[in-house]
Amino acid sequence: MSKLLIDVGSTYFKTSSSEGVAQAFRDFSMTIFDDLSHKFANKIAAYKKEDIYICSSANGGLSTLIIGLTNSFSLKYAKNIAFNSGINIIDTVLVHELQTSVAPTQLLDVVIVVGGIDSVGGIYDTKLISYLAKLRYSNIVYVGNTQDVPFLRSHVEALVVLENIIDNKLKVREEALKEYLTNLYQQDIVGKEDIKQLYAITANQIFSTPYIVNRSLPFIGTKFAVVDPFIVVDIGGATTDIHYSRDLVRDNIVSENGFDRLVFKKLGVYKSRESLVFAAKSNEFVYEMLNYLNVTENILEEQSEKATKILMLLSIFLVLYKVSSYKPAYVTLNLERLNALVFTGGITKVLSQDEVLSIVHFFYKKVLNTNTIPTIVLDHNYDIWTLGMHQ
Amino acid sequence: MTDRIKKVVTGVVGNDIHVVANRLIDISLQARGYEVFNLGVNTYLEEFIDAVIETDADILLISSLNGEAEGWCRDLQFLRSEYQLKDVVFVIGGNLAVGEAKCEDIVPKYKAYGFDLVFHQIDLNTGLDTLEAFMQDRITK
Ligand code: B12
Repeated sequence: MSKLLIDVGSTYFKTSSSEGVAQAFRDFSMTIFDDLSHKFANKIAAYKKEDIYICSSANGGLSTLIIGLTNSFSLKYAKNIAFNSGINIIDTVLVHELQTSVAPTQLLDVVIVVGGIDSVGGIYDTKLISYLAKLRYSNIVYVGNTQDVPFLRSHVEALVVLENIIDNKLKVREEALKEYLTNLYQQDIVGKEDIKQLYAITANQIFSTPYIVNRSLPFIGTKFAVVDPFIVVDIGGATTDIHYSRDLVRDNIVSENGFDRLVFKKLGVYKSRESLVFAAKSNEFVYEMLNYLNVTENILEEQSEKATKILMLLSIFLVLYKVSSYKPAYVTLNLERLNALVFTGGITKVLSQDEVLSIVHFFYKKVLNTNTIPTIVLDHNYDIWTLGMHQ
Repeated sequence: MTDRIKKVVTGVVGNDIHVVANRLIDISLQARGYEVFNLGVNTYLEEFIDAVIETDADILLISSLNGEAEGWCRDLQFLRSEYQLKDVVFVIGGNLAVGEAKCEDIVPKYKAYGFDLVFHQIDLNTGLDTLEAFMQDRITK
């Protein structure tokens, strides 16, 4: 009854079977299908289509712009749901800034419009329509008050209307929007021609990797000595993901799923190396950190195993920094309360426990001013991913 | 104002965790026929204002028990004009200063911050009666 699990990442493949885990760098000169069938030919031949499960994070990620009424409610709720569904937020705009704010020029995968409880109306008018005319987008979804629906339906083409994400008690109601965005993300990843070809080797549905990882979080305790609250940091080739328990956020957002996810699209070690280096160089702690690691700034320009290690350590630091209260961004996690910090993804194959420990120590000491750090767990065997695939 | 059900946003401002009065306020307002949006303890001024906007509330009723409201409410006037909340009634009550203080000193100060009604160490029902009279007065005007 054994299964073969395959993950298609943006830089490498990994497989898990009864013989253990294996990984191989991708060859971008051929299609994913050819590359995979070539590298794991024997393995794939040894399993029936029904026993092969595939997930992918290759070239993933949708972009969104959110238009909302206030920072504390409509925008906050929508941002939270978008992050949770793995969508990258390009920008947010408040209704009262619609006329003055500059519209982003890039093509957006989805625009989210939200605002008001159902007993409030007249929030959206022609100002929104003029603003939308300046945007380029593929999908638009409205999740605000019901009273504005007729106006919007008659003025916005192809508008998808879902249940208001703000209920009549001003609490978040996330299911409908989350399902819509997750499907969009899923369609984007598995709809790519490259991925569709993989149905030749599997009879099972192909999922997106972040979805699989998120699904395994409630069961993580069965594999590791991890105590809530914890976060899982997945440092990959193109993006860095952080999955965290809701308990760590100050917001009183009440919801079903106890875990949220945040994607840092530009903090990958390979594919987005340049932007990672850029982010590192503009960080106020970087020189102290390089000094602490006994290297100079030049290492950032090098192409060596050592340089890769340093970049991975930098990305750990930057991710923690970005979600700490020191640098309030979209989401601030209460890292002081953290019991465990779990690392997964490519870095677990490159960094040692000690190296990770030392950078986390540096972060807690420098940024949070404390010598107590959470338990560090390295998911060397991709157990989290395997767990999610088996669920 | 029409005679539709009035909406009230309430909560405890700043880093203040005294929750008992907040629960009482929620229950009392509902008993008096208001639609209540209770943001609970530890609520910042921006969150109050944002809640008023999202719900199109008629009244914002802030309470403060630990005495630190002053520091949290100084920006009210600014936010009030930024969002054009002219018609909203702003009310604050509880312990509005740290230690001993006189109402004669406190009330004008909070009125200058933009509150319409200020209740320093005044019993809840008395406060809510005054609020109702105030609202009635507005309608007749
Ligand atoms: C219980 C209590 C606590 C509990 C709170 C538990 C909880 N989760 O609620 C604990 C122990 C945690 C606590 C902590 C603190 N407390 Co305390 N606490 C009290 C205590 C003993 C009772 C409060 C209470 O629940 N009363 C019952 C409710 C129903 O009455 P009420 O809160 O007074 O509210 C009434 C009116 O004020 C009014 N009202 C309230 N809001 C509004 C709004 C409007 C519009 C209107 C009209 C009326 C109104 O209506 C209510 C009913 O009539 C009071 C002292 C006292 N006897 O009042 C101190 C008191 C409020 N605490 C005080 C202080 C200083 C603190 C701490 C700072 C102590 C410290 N150094 O750590 C911390 C603050 C923590 C924080 N971040 O907020 C001071 C505040 C001093 C001041 N303002 O000058 C008080 C007054 C004690 C004192 N005399 O020094 N406290």
